[in-house]
Amino acid sequence: MDSSTTQILAEVFVDTISYWWVIVPTIFLGLIVGGIPGFSAANTIIILMPLTLSMELETGLIFMVALYSSSRMGAGIPAILVNIPGTAGAAATPLDGYPMAKQGKGQQALAISFVSSCLGGLLTTIIALATMPILARVGFYMHSVEMIVVMLFGISLIAAIAAQDMVKGLIAGFLGLMIGSIGTDVVYATPRGTMGFLELYDGVPLIPALVGLFAVSEAFIIIEKKVIVSHEGDVRKANWHDTFEGVRIAFSRWWHIVWTSIIGLVIGVIPGAGASIASFVAYQQSRSFSKTPELYGTGHPEGLIAPESANNGVTSGTLVPLLVLGIPGGATAAIMLVVMQFHGVSFGPSLFEAQPKVGYGMFMAMAVSYVVMIFTILPLSRYMSHVTTVPTIYLAPMIISFTLVGAFVPREYMFDLYLALGFGVLGYIARRTGYHVAAILIGVILGPLLERYFLLALKKSDGDITTLFSSNLGNILWVALALSLILPIVFDIRRKRQAAQE
Amino acid sequence: MQHNTPRRQLGGELVIPVLAIGFTLYFFSTIWNSPWTAQVSTFFIGGVLLLVCGIFILRCVLWLREGTGTLGFGNLFSRGDFTTGRIGLFVTTIGFCLFIDSLGFTLTTFLFLSISMIILSKGKRPGFITLVSALMALGGWAVFILAFDTRFPRGWFEMTMKAVLSNG
Repeated sequence: MDSSTTQILAEVFVDTISYWWVIVPTIFLGLIVGGIPGFSAANTIIILMPLTLSMELETGLIFMVALYSSSRMGAGIPAILVNIPGTAGAAATPLDGYPMAKQGKGQQALAISFVSSCLGGLLTTIIALATMPILARVGFYMHSVEMIVVMLFGISLIAAIAAQDMVKGLIAGFLGLMIGSIGTDVVYATPRGTMGFLELYDGVPLIPALVGLFAVSEAFIIIEKKVIVSHEGDVRKANWHDTFEGVRIAFSRWWHIVWTSIIGLVIGVIPGAGASIASFVAYQQSRSFSKTPELYGTGHPEGLIAPESANNGVTSGTLVPLLVLGIPGGATAAIMLVVMQFHGVSFGPSLFEAQPKVGYGMFMAMAVSYVVMIFTILPLSRYMSHVTTVPTIYLAPMIISFTLVGAFVPREYMFDLYLALGFGVLGYIARRTGYHVAAILIGVILGPLLERYFLLALKKSDGDITTLFSSNLGNILWVALALSLILPIVFDIRRKRQAAQE
Repeated sequence: MQHNTPRRQLGGELVIPVLAIGFTLYFFSTIWNSPWTAQVSTFFIGGVLLLVCGIFILRCVLWLREGTGTLGFGNLFSRGDFTTGRIGLFVTTIGFCLFIDSLGFTLTTFLFLSISMIILSKGKRPGFITLVSALMALGGWAVFILAFDTRFPRGWFEMTMKAVLSNG
């Protein structure tokens, strides 16, 4: 790290601290909404998008990053206390967290979860921040051909990892790419796939797409449960001794926090491999290397530390491909990309030269948020579980009204409201029938970019399609892409054979 | 054995591939006369999409032949859509989109929240629901329009409040 970078980081740190009035209330908000099942950071950012878009860029980014980090941590609260993960990223948390709560150690488990989340998130943010100048250079080696393969790689990884069925994941991703290609092409300005709507000549607006796919469809799904939280797991009464005992247990296992959070960081950098994958991988690795694997699943602190450290490690990891390549690593990063594009931020290596405070600022905001969270969350932990009892009859209409109107804000077209509703129907069908909505959204985002790089590559080569296989790095990526599609099928066949033999 | 596990509702699962195929073919028709360089990206993406949809349809045919799936839509539509109030919520959502331009954000949000919540709660606690809806709509107006001047649709309520506030 050279002296100019150090100076920028110091300036960014001071700048970020001056936004304490944004960070502190946002953390409380994030912890509350993160604790509501089905109400992910992505949905919260969408709901508050009109607010975010009306803010200055710096304020908006700090707001989103603080909300992202804190809601990730808040999602662990209902997972521990009532066996209902707030988000998919906290799906591995109840494996040991809930048994602890059932043993009367709910507050202890919450404290362990909070410390693991804060330290894991803080550590991985610092690592990402320190390696960012190196990672940013990756972008210089990525020309149009390589970018085409990386984008296809992202879609195929989402299909292979995030979706339960790879074929369905690919359908969702490529359908998103087709939808993203709607509009006039960049060279000849011919309208394609617009169905005659003038409003689509500039392409599919991203905010209505993500509002529909995530928030509206989610609202129609959650009304199946009249009350979100079952009364199966009662919230325990709090006492401070348990809380401080939890803090002690977590700090005494600091090395466990370190390596499981790094698993989260690495998985977070891979587009499509979100917090849910990271938390299960970390849990599995933690059990594999443990001296007491038999204790996992019975309320073992290490079984709680691993997924919570990992899913907060993902938080900083997903920002890396977003900022370096302009490719969102997950749903929340995709939404951040939309908001940043609205403010005219350009991604890639040039971001760290043209607007270094934006690039580094996001990581710094994350680091500061995690530090602040250490001081704010412990006293609150005993009251958090109450937010899980919000009835869906109130929640679903609120989500719909406040997100749909957010789709209207950027362009002020009533058409965008109907478009969001249309995407909501598509998202609902996708969720009900096992297609991945994040894959569709990432496809919609990457569609126009992919086309632009295709046109650039072909223009440079005078229309020679073999140019796609003309670079060494590109060819390595093509092989990796092919392997990412083939290997899961091979492993699946092998697993089925083994199961049949047993 | 097959009778113990519920059969896959392939009709529902085929909705998205069928929509994708239809949309891709329509998209192809709109670029048919474009230059080659403008076609190649779409033909590539569309070609892959048609291929994976074809693979999925082929799998569905095999599942149907094995008897592990049906062409039902049970995973998409069910009686629960009526009992949970999902259909009612969908209708009120369309109403929200239709009326927000003329009635403005606050009034439309209030009406939408009240009607939707009453439908979802099957008419229970109308007084409480009206209060919650009014608070949410007014809160939204205060934060988004009054405080942050966000470009939300303005109607009678917003105009009246603007006049009232500007006149002190």
